Amino acid sequence: MKTILYFLSPYKKLCAFTLLAMILDVAGALLIPRLTADMINIGVTSGNMDYIFQKGLLMILISLAAGGSAILGSYFCARLSANMGKDMRNALYDKSLSFSARDFEQFTTGSMITRTLSDVNVVQQAVVWCIQMVLPVPVMCVLGIIMAFSTDAGMGLLLLGVTALVLALAALVTKKAAFIFQRLQWFLDQMNTVVRESLTGVRVIRAFNKEPFQEQRMRKTFQDYARSAISVNRLFAGLDCFAFLAINFSVVGIIWLGGNRVGQGHMQIGDITAVTEYAILILFYILMAQMVILLLPRAHVCLGRIQAVLHQEPEILDPSQALREPFSQDPREPVAVFEEVSLRFPQADGDTLSHLSFACRRGETTAIIGGTGSGKSTIGKLLLRFLDPTQGRILFRGVPLTQLTQKQLRRRIAYVPQKAWLFSGTIADNLRHGKPRASREEMERALEVSQSHFVNSLPQGLQSPVSQGGANFSGGQKQRLSIARALMKKADLYIFDDSFSALDFKTDAALRKALAKELPFAAVLIIAQRISTIQNASCIIVLDQGRIAGIGTHSQLMESCEIYRDILRSQTKGGENRHVGNRI
Amino acid sequence: MSETGYETAFGLGEDGQAPANALSTLRRLWRSADDQHGKLFIVLFCVIAYTLLSVLGPLYSAHVVDLLWEGIKASLSRGQVFHVAWDYGGLEILLLFSLYGGAWIFYTLMSFLMASFAEQLSLRLRTQISEKLNRLPLSLYDRTKTGDILSRATNDLDKMSEALQTGLLKLFTAAGMITGSLIMMFQFHLGLTLIFLAFMALSLILTRIFSQKTLRCAAKRQQSVGVLTGLVEEAYTGRSVIKAFHREEESAAQLHQATQELAQASQKADFLINAINPAIRLVNRLGQVGIALLAGKLLIDGALTVGRFQAFFQYVYQAAEPLTEAAYMINSMQSALACVERTYRLLDEEEMSPEPAHPVVPSSSQGRIVFEKVAFGYAPERLLMKNISFTAEKGQKIAIVGSTGAGKTTLVNLLMRFYEIRKGRILLDGTDIRLMTRAQLRSHFGMVLQDTWLFQGTIAENIAYGRPNATREEIIAAARAARIDFFIRTLPKGYDTLLSDSEESISAGQRQLLTIARVFLYDPAVLILDEATSSVDTRTEMEISAAMKALMENRTSFVIAHRLSTIVDADLILLMEKGDIIEQGTHQQLLSKNGAYASLYYSQFS
Repeated sequence: MKTILYFLSPYKKLCAFTLLAMILDVAGALLIPRLTADMINIGVTSGNMDYIFQKGLLMILISLAAGGSAILGSYFCARLSANMGKDMRNALYDKSLSFSARDFEQFTTGSMITRTLSDVNVVQQAVVWCIQMVLPVPVMCVLGIIMAFSTDAGMGLLLLGVTALVLALAALVTKKAAFIFQRLQWFLDQMNTVVRESLTGVRVIRAFNKEPFQEQRMRKTFQDYARSAISVNRLFAGLDCFAFLAINFSVVGIIWLGGNRVGQGHMQIGDITAVTEYAILILFYILMAQMVILLLPRAHVCLGRIQAVLHQEPEILDPSQALREPFSQDPREPVAVFEEVSLRFPQADGDTLSHLSFACRRGETTAIIGGTGSGKSTIGKLLLRFLDPTQGRILFRGVPLTQLTQKQLRRRIAYVPQKAWLFSGTIADNLRHGKPRASREEMERALEVSQSHFVNSLPQGLQSPVSQGGANFSGGQKQRLSIARALMKKADLYIFDDSFSALDFKTDAALRKALAKELPFAAVLIIAQRISTIQNASCIIVLDQGRIAGIGTHSQLMESCEIYRDILRSQTKGGENRHVGNRI
Repeated sequence: MSETGYETAFGLGEDGQAPANALSTLRRLWRSADDQHGKLFIVLFCVIAYTLLSVLGPLYSAHVVDLLWEGIKASLSRGQVFHVAWDYGGLEILLLFSLYGGAWIFYTLMSFLMASFAEQLSLRLRTQISEKLNRLPLSLYDRTKTGDILSRATNDLDKMSEALQTGLLKLFTAAGMITGSLIMMFQFHLGLTLIFLAFMALSLILTRIFSQKTLRCAAKRQQSVGVLTGLVEEAYTGRSVIKAFHREEESAAQLHQATQELAQASQKADFLINAINPAIRLVNRLGQVGIALLAGKLLIDGALTVGRFQAFFQYVYQAAEPLTEAAYMINSMQSALACVERTYRLLDEEEMSPEPAHPVVPSSSQGRIVFEKVAFGYAPERLLMKNISFTAEKGQKIAIVGSTGAGKTTLVNLLMRFYEIRKGRILLDGTDIRLMTRAQLRSHFGMVLQDTWLFQGTIAENIAYGRPNATREEIIAAARAARIDFFIRTLPKGYDTLLSDSEESISAGQRQLLTIARVFLYDPAVLILDEATSSVDTRTEMEISAAMKALMENRTSFVIAHRLSTIVDADLILLMEKGDIIEQGTHQQLLSKNGAYASLYYSQFS
């Protein structure tokens, strides 16, 4: 609720107008039957047509005013919800940018997308419904009962009683329905899961002859869902029928009691129509609100998910006072140094990385090799400060990362991520991410070094369109383009996170040769799975379950490191080592 | 699923599709509901009784009010106070109450009867779908998106039951109410009724204009939603790149631009959608003013009594609401029919060829497989494989290599009879596989695929998938053989850990190991490993392959691998290209041949 108010607060005026329009609309709805009743009263008593015309004119005016304000109210409401949705989405996205990798991963990409798009939409929708269907209810009840009392105290009491009764029942049903609805939603999800499972796993299911089993599972979820849906329908039918009954009771009660009151001279015959109409209006509004209130729990869940993102404290913050030019100017100073760095995720039993110490120097290539889950990609994330270590510290050109702003740090690092990801636009747009005002020559040079010769053969060359994620290029092409993008940047440190895996051996080799020539003064960090990719590195670090299992050159490791030899053997089975041995 | 998910979440899924053949779909739907026909007839009777009573109600209430008014006027002229008494008015009011009460009883009866109608109908259709899914050929799954079939079973039928649930009853009663009320209104006064009809026509025209405009605005909004969705997906997926290249500000600006555009588009669309109701209400109210004016004059002239004045207004309400909703109801019924039509189309899909009438049961499971001049194509005139012949002896390791799209997986699918061959034959231990039932054939095979499919259940249940009655010891032994036992034990609930789709605590590699354990326990004669180790690293792969080797002992195995290093020891290597085997032999034979295989093999080192 606080969050909703927070997002509404910039639009106080708009909110006030929306409410005002709504109240006018409700008042208009109640005044029309009042005037109709007056007409009847005049018609049966004085027989003055002029009065009737006067009342008719008034009715038209009120109809126009009420209708106009209702339409205006729809406009305000649409505007309010559109702006609120926009602000929420912007806030969510802006917040997400401040997250560390760990902050973000705890929500997962898919869930963040849902939160930004459909959760916001559900909340928006709920706000609209509340404004249009729930908020008018108290106004309608109060005004309607006041109007009834102003007609006749007896009528007022009657209406008060009926309203209270229906409200109480509606509250009861809502409470019960909220629970059933939750269960229904769960069964619906379950149904989706099981059917999806049967479709995606069709090969396995058939291979294991499990068709009857899977059919049974589907049938059960279908039955559960149907049973639950039917109970929801029955609940609604019950409420609906009760409201029907209440209206009938009120109409008959009003005629009986009204007849007496008219007989006693407390009210006029036409007033019976008016009060009947009030009763119907009140009940109708309550029923409408009822439907909406049942949908609110879902909106509440969505709102909670949005709040969770907005309230998440970013783990990594820039220092409050960062030096302008803090870096060591000594060219012999290592570009990056790990000092006894350990990383452990919360709730994890063991360290993901444990006691890592090494340095990346200018003009040298440092390589990290290890199996899946050995923690090698995490090293890149630590260097870019997507994550902070739990122990130890990392220095960049002599300065601890925590004393730098994230921008200061990342401006000096060029990064090729494990999953090559390009943005929709053109190839040139993507390359300019590395250097905003790059010239054509610079771009062509980067493409050349990254072995992206295929760009030249594209009809539109640098201006060739790139679809989302780079889906219109092959895995190897994407990797080479994202390497080119990184090369556009003049950096002290170049990180290649498993960036050569989709390349064939020939391109891999040519690329590395070109890289060595292109980056003579920078430090290079290559994270890889293939030994052939890294065996010429100045320093190879073998990671095994987060620990350094060996460090040194290829030949040193061949001597001393069992795991390194294992990896090599696994990649060159069949005694073909000689092919690997004679590399560049 | 994701795109359609957003669509429905955005409330923009209302595709105004019309059914291709409404009448025949309706007839078929009627047959599908044949177990509920009795219920429907009772409902129909209730509808008729209910509308009759509801239409009679105002007429009688007019009589009661007039009676009271006469009494009141008479008492007033005598200077007395009027009271409703049993013999004056009371009995009539009670009668009026029982009239309404009767309508209420029928209404309640039909509401409760209909509460289960639509859901039972969808349950029936869903059950038919679940049976159908098992009889559909695999080729259908290959050419249809998962999300499409999924929505036949879930969304489409949900839409149908939602529309039928409230719509059917409303449609029935609306038809009755409109006719009944109009008849009564004409009886009351022609002029008043004509005014009413004129304004109704006006509001119907208004609805039409509005809905056309709304459609256009909604389409525009959908477009903005599409743009924003693309941008958000891209930005979140590529966020490490955005941050690494410190492009946070540019990216935020781009996103804000898109949300701004969406806000503008949805403001317009929402306004139109929200405003239509008040606009129609306004027209109806103006109509009521017209009616009230004329009725007031009639009242003065004595041509209309107070009771009939009131009753006429009740008819106006009774007829106006269903009339304004008619267009909407017909629309939703139409799209419901379109949904059911799609479901029926799925139910009508061609099924797999029937099982042989007298299936041959191969004597003992050896695992010798022969492909004899096999040809295959999804369509008979466009063959993908023209002539495949090879023999896999019992216990041999057969490796299938080739580039993507060469037909490696298709070959395996033919073997397991997921697809039907067009020419030639495939023999398992000397028996044509088409002479066995599919279940018999497949019970000889165990499969590990690149796609690590597990179902929602515990780890133990998943490992025991092929042998549900396996003991816990056997399950653990299988897990140990697949080198996943240790990991499972580190989980808080161990073997009873529930696996769900979104399980993130289990990596792709670990999921793969679970599927391997599943095959270990199944203990088949023939093993199929389709890129089975592609999601584990080389060193783990080496560890697994030791266990695999033990598993392959005395079993025929087919291995599709993307790393040539894992298949050099195969007894037979099949090199495939464009659907056919271009070279076959052992590693050494093929290398000495110095052909396509040799150049492929050396290319990884050059």
